[in-house]
Amino acid sequence: MTPAERRYMSSDELRAVGSVAWRKDGVAKVTGAEQYAPDIALSRMWYARVLRSPHAHARITRIDTSVAEALGAVCLTFADIPKVKYNERIVSTPPHLYRDRYVLADKARHVGEAVAAVAAPTEALAEKALRAIKVDYEPLQTILNAEDSMRSGAEPIHASVRLGDAEIPIENNVAVTRSIQVGDIDKGFAESEFVIEREFTTHPIYHAQMETKSVVCRPEPDEAITVWATAQSIHNVRQLLGEIYSIPLHKVNVRRVALGGTFGSSIQVNSVIPICVGLALRALRPVKLVSTREEDMYDHVRYPTNIRLRLGLKRDGTLVAGHMRAIVDIGAHNIQAFPFLGVLAGFWASLYRLPHMKYEGRAVYTNRTPSCAMQGFGAPQVTFAVESLMDEIAHELGMDPIDLKLKNYVGLGGTFWGHGPTVQSIVRSDGVPELVGLGAKKIGWKERPRPGSQTGRYRRGIGMARGFHTSGVGHPKATGAEMIDYSGAFVKINEDGSVDVVQSLMDHGGGTLEAIAKIVADELGVPLEKVGLSPVDTRTTVYDVTTHATRGVYAGGAAAQKAARKAKAILLDYASRLLGVLPEALVIEPDVRLGQGVIHCPSLADRRITVGAVAKACQVNSWGTIAAVESLRQVNCPPAYVTYFVEVEVDTDTGNVRTRRAAIGSDCGTVVNPDLAAGQLTGGLSKGAGYALIEDCRWDAQTGELLSRGFWIDGKTPSVSESPLLEDVHTDFAKTYEPSGPFGAKGLGEASTNPCAGAYANALYNALGVRFYELPVTPEKILAALQRKEPAYDARDERRTAVAPAR
Amino acid sequence: MYIATNTHILVAEFDYVEPTTLEEVFWHLSEHGPQARLIAGGTDLLVQMKMERKNPACLISLARVLELQGMTSNSGLTVGATASIRSLARSEPIGRHYTALAEACNAFSTIPIMVMATLGGNLCNASPAADTAPPLLAFDASVALVSRAGQRVVPLEDFFLGPGQTALRHDEVLRSVHLAESVRGAGSAFVKVARVAADISQVCAAVRVVRDGDHVIDCRIALGAVAPTPVRAHRAEAFLTGQRPDRGRVDDAARIAGEDTKPITDVRATQEYRRHASRVIVRDALTTAWLRAGGRELK
Repeated sequence: MTPAERRYMSSDELRAVGSVAWRKDGVAKVTGAEQYAPDIALSRMWYARVLRSPHAHARITRIDTSVAEALGAVCLTFADIPKVKYNERIVSTPPHLYRDRYVLADKARHVGEAVAAVAAPTEALAEKALRAIKVDYEPLQTILNAEDSMRSGAEPIHASVRLGDAEIPIENNVAVTRSIQVGDIDKGFAESEFVIEREFTTHPIYHAQMETKSVVCRPEPDEAITVWATAQSIHNVRQLLGEIYSIPLHKVNVRRVALGGTFGSSIQVNSVIPICVGLALRALRPVKLVSTREEDMYDHVRYPTNIRLRLGLKRDGTLVAGHMRAIVDIGAHNIQAFPFLGVLAGFWASLYRLPHMKYEGRAVYTNRTPSCAMQGFGAPQVTFAVESLMDEIAHELGMDPIDLKLKNYVGLGGTFWGHGPTVQSIVRSDGVPELVGLGAKKIGWKERPRPGSQTGRYRRGIGMARGFHTSGVGHPKATGAEMIDYSGAFVKINEDGSVDVVQSLMDHGGGTLEAIAKIVADELGVPLEKVGLSPVDTRTTVYDVTTHATRGVYAGGAAAQKAARKAKAILLDYASRLLGVLPEALVIEPDVRLGQGVIHCPSLADRRITVGAVAKACQVNSWGTIAAVESLRQVNCPPAYVTYFVEVEVDTDTGNVRTRRAAIGSDCGTVVNPDLAAGQLTGGLSKGAGYALIEDCRWDAQTGELLSRGFWIDGKTPSVSESPLLEDVHTDFAKTYEPSGPFGAKGLGEASTNPCAGAYANALYNALGVRFYELPVTPEKILAALQRKEPAYDARDERRTAVAPAR
Repeated sequence: MYIATNTHILVAEFDYVEPTTLEEVFWHLSEHGPQARLIAGGTDLLVQMKMERKNPACLISLARVLELQGMTSNSGLTVGATASIRSLARSEPIGRHYTALAEACNAFSTIPIMVMATLGGNLCNASPAADTAPPLLAFDASVALVSRAGQRVVPLEDFFLGPGQTALRHDEVLRSVHLAESVRGAGSAFVKVARVAADISQVCAAVRVVRDGDHVIDCRIALGAVAPTPVRAHRAEAFLTGQRPDRGRVDDAARIAGEDTKPITDVRATQEYRRHASRVIVRDALTTAWLRAGGRELK
């Protein structure tokens, strides 16, 4: 533990970490002054539109842009783009990167795939030009589900893809498979006294982030480009654009703009970004491309899965063996199927100890919207399956589900698979028992009804599920990594004692950068309001992989802390010259009265100087600027545990489910932003409830069109009126300290939603005595299940009260 | 087949006029012919134009036409066609005497839509799921259609001809909606099944009952989103009229109403679910309306 951390642990009242403060971007956001990618407007700027395939699967035989060009538009087709096959998510290391797409499609593989693009002086003219482009398609067999796709004789969606430096063939439309074994499952199941197997189906949903994918690109006079884009990593945007268009990286400058939410849909470099760059390079003027909501809904969904899970236990509830077979429909492109198959196994292995386990995963291409990471990346799917099955097992064995789970969970000292089999570390902080106890008490777990014991119209049930997300994908091994995971930061102490933090880390809106400012403030010992977050771009920052995998605070924050620590050493060195005291004898603390950090020597009362005075002296004496730049890769991936308790009320006449109460507990280590952390948990409930009960994406079986037609009305995230009152959502934080995290912090964001669907499924079982193995659990499915379970269900109507209870 | 329409860009070019009198509106209608369309709040029409389902050459705004505004009581209530949904939702007399209509307006959509959308627009758009239609049918509403040739009054039930189709002739303007006078012993209710109030109804129902002692002496039941137009459930109404309602009778009436629906399956709900839900909400609405009419708790 560093001195700064020790001071933090001694509960210094002046610490910024753990305090509630005005967000630095708060005023800009509430007044509308904040700039998001769609807000960027430049002189001479043109507008772009993208022509998208109406066919789910078709060869493109001819594209005629002559009429569009005659209208004054600049056009871009497959013939015009560099023939660079790429993968848009350059987070995996090159040997594990499956590359199957071009800037514009060589063949239409899903409805809505980008086929051509135009830029024109106005958006309306661009739209007109777009319609003037003639494309001849030769339709191919449309395949919309994984089973059909793997059948022999099915039309190949990709004949081959690039993996590393090799072109590899794709057989039976299987993009990638992964098998993982620990121990010997035959032996394990033979030793088991109770074996159960169930099949779980999870569905694709749209990310439903507020900002649609947008980009502005300005070609510069020196053949450089400047880009403003919806992105979770500005450096990955830069590197991919450099690769596709053969531009040296020092001439690709990507500027950070605020993000209007992503839920993981911009981990990859968005498909519209290279399209817009291609148009700008042809038009030789700035071009802006803002996706419509309809286009955005044809761009990405959460990975749907089919999971067959078999578990073997001793009669006392000790897990012995597990076998999971997963089929994942990845849609038309392989964005990150290989790591996805890995995390399904890894998150499963990290929920409960399995001495013998076997995992077989298959990722399959189909002709629908590409699947990509969405909040939780595999954890919501696998946690729904495992937590549903553990609840069922507990009932079968006559145990309290909480006891069964606490008996088997992977906690302190256990091995946690943060990101598949290659990213593992030992758990060093564990708030699970504390959170389970707190949640059970707040929801009234012991007083929950007996499953299926109720008969009235409105039936209540309480369900529990637990889970986690990883904090980043760091691990101790030096080479052979599957994934890139490091951050960097540059910290500079200004001549008045204020601080600039220059870091390319992205904030999805949850307050990641706010946390960075707090960590730097406490590491340096200056007041939070003296720490500024610089506007940044790729030319002036060091690399940051991306804000994903719940790594923003844990990994990005640790990098900023490391740079601040180094700047502080320089600062104390200069201060020691001025004070005539050895640097080791000095400490820095914020002084509220001075609004400054003050350096003093606890052993000599008269040796005091402000941080600003030292920095000014450095300038006046020409000693130099106090600054430091650092990169940092975490060597652990601590689990950010979460427990969920929800109480539902089911209207058995309409099938509607209302959430009455919830108790959500988070073990994120030290809580850096208490108010924003609680907000993350209630937001996770909202997204999780939508996933469990409401949201869905379906495609027309013949045409491959979205049944919603990209019209964002029915499949949206629950609104306030569908959510419990805020005072009925309890949020608690475990009192833990993660030794490897900045000031003891680990992750939080994605964990906040991961167990939610499992908790709902278990609550519905508690209310109705019916298990649901398929998401979403819609009113229709609830009514159908009730009619199967209670054939006399209809005849009892008149005995019920028809007036809904007051909310 | 997928057509790359969107709700972001309004591609079509069109003329736009803002007359201030009905006479001017008639002039524009005859000047531009069938290519012209009337626009009030635009909450349906502009979306349809963006999605290119409608491509008028000229939009004639009714927003500034004084003759279409306001609300007057005269043996019932006459509401101007351009009254906003929000104004009806907040109207004290509508809340008191036409409760089901107030409930429908309150459940209509988000507040920005309620502020822009108008009663006349909701009817002329003729969506089978129009939220104001079932309560208006329950209140025996009629619409006044005016043209240069004069005015004709059409019962609302005859106004709807099919999805997007009404009895409004091209040279006519819907001027106002008239609701029958409220009577003693009446109670009404509106119930909607949708994900949230701000969504389009999967199915909705409005009911008005008139009570004399323990008997229903008059009854209207109307449903939305269960047929090509908003519909009355005449058979169910007749079944209940003159009866002493109890839970069994109310449930039977609701079942009859459900049987008479002709719902479709779409992305919002299946046909079976709509039929089932219409029965549930008719039962709930009848029960609530009966209590509001001063009736005793149903046994």
